[in-house]
Amino acid sequence: MASKKDFYQVLGVQRSASADEIKTAYRKLARKFHPDLNPGDKAAETRFKELQHAYDVLSDAENRKLYDQYGDDWQAVKQGGGPPPPGWQPGRGAGAGASAGAGARGGQGFDFSGFDFGSRGPEGSTPGFDIFEELFGGRTGRNTRRRARGADAEAQLEISLEEAHAGGRRSLQMQVAEVCPTCHGTGTVNENVCPTCHGAGQVAQLKTLEVNIPAGVRDGSTVRLAGQGGAGSEGQPAGDLYLHIRLRPHPVFTVHGDDLEVELPIAPWEAVLGGKVDVQKIDGKAALTIPQGAQTGQRLRLRGQGLNKRKGGRGDEYVRLKIVVPKKVSAEEQRLYEDLRKTSQFDPRNSNRH
Amino acid sequence: MTADDFDMDESLTLEVICSTVGARESLVLRLAQQGLLEATADETGQTLLPQRAVVELRRMQRLRRDLGVNFTGAAIIIDLVRRIEALNRELANYRD
Repeated sequence: MASKKDFYQVLGVQRSASADEIKTAYRKLARKFHPDLNPGDKAAETRFKELQHAYDVLSDAENRKLYDQYGDDWQAVKQGGGPPPPGWQPGRGAGAGASAGAGARGGQGFDFSGFDFGSRGPEGSTPGFDIFEELFGGRTGRNTRRRARGADAEAQLEISLEEAHAGGRRSLQMQVAEVCPTCHGTGTVNENVCPTCHGAGQVAQLKTLEVNIPAGVRDGSTVRLAGQGGAGSEGQPAGDLYLHIRLRPHPVFTVHGDDLEVELPIAPWEAVLGGKVDVQKIDGKAALTIPQGAQTGQRLRLRGQGLNKRKGGRGDEYVRLKIVVPKKVSAEEQRLYEDLRKTSQFDPRNSNRH
Repeated sequence: MTADDFDMDESLTLEVICSTVGARESLVLRLAQQGLLEATADETGQTLLPQRAVVELRRMQRLRRDLGVNFTGAAIIIDLVRRIEALNRELANYRD
């Protein structure tokens, strides 16, 4: 978690670094690890969140002073108006949630919803720090519209080729903002800072979503799931969820748009004599007729056996033949090949012959 | 987008887009005029943007906020990242 790491180390600067040095270091690392520049890269995403967290604190002179003095407890000091009591433990509330983002089961989630036009200047300076602004957008009291409607969320979801073809249901877990159950959104309990949310009034909670993956999605598709984002307050509609689809590489098929390609190994005699062999399809098997005189690299088309298209219909499957020969042969096979050598007029280096 | 998007082509009015992302109409209009967002107009002359613009606007704003680039720079970055992703997909196909 971000709160465990030293903010200066995260930014790679000395404790004595000037505000400008901190900004330069942040910008440099942000360019490298920004999630929008590294789509689907979980490690970069985690790094970036740590960076943002560290920069948010250290770029503010007052917060930086508190951090220098109290370390990880600085926020409690700030909100509680005094040093933390002995034995005070940073809770699993706001600070713990800061770098969690959205985790999609079996895929990577990233909650991009912390976003508000104009809340932060282009210089990236934020007075004060509040993780819920990072996660869920909308500075308190400033953008009431976004407060009312649930926040939109974006997440990456990795699916198999079979799921992309047939569609299906997936459950994924997302971090969403809920009203704090301890203080009911007020941020205080008996005039003290709420121990659960540390005064934010909201807590980040894992919510399990059942999403329908429509048949026909592709790598790089974005699926909008209306009303599946963050919950709206006071009867307002929930936000939308934008799922950015990644396709897991398939062990058998390569994908070219709506078409699939598969390599099919065949024996020399199958190539010469032709025959019927089984070939794998995305949804089963098909009997494929190999023509006489088939060649390595020859592509046979199974019309309409590719991936389901978004608006109906299917692509094609291409079967790429590859003639393979046994590495070891029996004495009998050896004899037959020797006979063939004597009998055959075929000269592969002189294609005019055959 | 090279890949098909789902429910991302739906046309939204300028007003809906702006209220969804919390942006000023003048900003979104300017971005559309500069060709940084794809915009059309209906028969009454009302500006329409695809649902996709919501995601793109947010992405631009994040890049602007976090990296200090302007909107034109952000649009170029988004386009280049998309192209790199498409190349990576192609490459992955040939790498087996």
